[in-house]
Amino acid sequence: MLAAADGDAGSWKALVDRFSGLVWSVARGHGLASADAEEVFQTTWLRFAEHIGRLKEPDRAGAWLATTARHECLRLARARTRLDLTGDLDVLPPQVDDRSPERAVVESEETAAELERLRGLWECFQELPARCLRLLRVLLATPPPSYAEIAEALDMPIGSIGPTRARCLGRLRDLLSERGITGVTSVTRVTSVTDVAGIRDATGVTGVVEEAGHG
Amino acid sequence: MDELSPLDALDALETRLRRAAELADPVPASLTDAALAAFALRTLDAELARLTFDSLVEGAGAVRGDGPRTLTFTTGEVTVEVELADGRLVGQLLPAAGPAEIEVRRTSGAITVRADDLGRFAVEPFGPGPFSLRCRLSPDRTVVTDWFSAR
Repeated sequence: MLAAADGDAGSWKALVDRFSGLVWSVARGHGLASADAEEVFQTTWLRFAEHIGRLKEPDRAGAWLATTARHECLRLARARTRLDLTGDLDVLPPQVDDRSPERAVVESEETAAELERLRGLWECFQELPARCLRLLRVLLATPPPSYAEIAEALDMPIGSIGPTRARCLGRLRDLLSERGITGVTSVTRVTSVTDVAGIRDATGVTGVVEEAGHG
Repeated sequence: MDELSPLDALDALETRLRRAAELADPVPASLTDAALAAFALRTLDAELARLTFDSLVEGAGAVRGDGPRTLTFTTGEVTVEVELADGRLVGQLLPAAGPAEIEVRRTSGAITVRADDLGRFAVEPFGPGPFSLRCRLSPDRTVVTDWFSAR
């Protein structure tokens, strides 16, 4: 980051690669629609470029970006409310842009069946309460942000992230099982989990574990 | 082992959700490009004027929902006041620095306007989107405002 502050474009690219997912997920986690989320994203990075040489704690770049994105989200949400109040509705046409989940899907390595399961999982995820969506959307950024960055992004105590995450993911798991959607946590790539599940089934303690998991 | 299993299952669920998010709601490629391009837009020899007032956050208009949006940026004794309404930007540099040149920076490019003797300037049309003002007060003094969204 110090290199980027000195004008090294390669270091700037490294920062963009590392944190653009976080900034985007903060905007989406705050429930902003595409056009607003894009504006928050752009404003955040433009401002960061002006501040990069002035930051006192270079290792807090992620936290700085997360905080700035959150403030901009609240500002835009407020502007939106204000526009609505005055009846001057900013009605935007549906965005046709290069978001292209289609392209990402085409380029993905998953099988068609796996992609279908992931789509189902995402649909279920969006039914979670707003509180859960807010936290999880930020947590799910790629690459995964640190808890310190998540705390800044959501203005929540770092200590409550873990418990909230567990509660919300547990809720999703329950929702999935209510819908009869299975096979979402037994990823073949994560062999240790399937192995453990296999052992549990073999020893007949699955029921006990499941119950504990619901608590 | 039995204590750890549910936690492992949640970790696995999180991993798959992250993949689902990458597929369903990725950062648009044009935005990644915009973030990369932001680096070239940074100013190197200007004082940064930070936001000191935003009617959206602290003004009466924030509550009542009426009146124009006003923003104030400050560095040292220099103030840049901006009013956004009806697709226009009207601003004033204080103290007035004579016919200062103001570069109005948008993501689509920049245009330059000139302030009058009282430091007033206007830009029209002025749509939504991020903006920053680079004000050349004198040959050796330039002030640039923080980037903000015009809403």
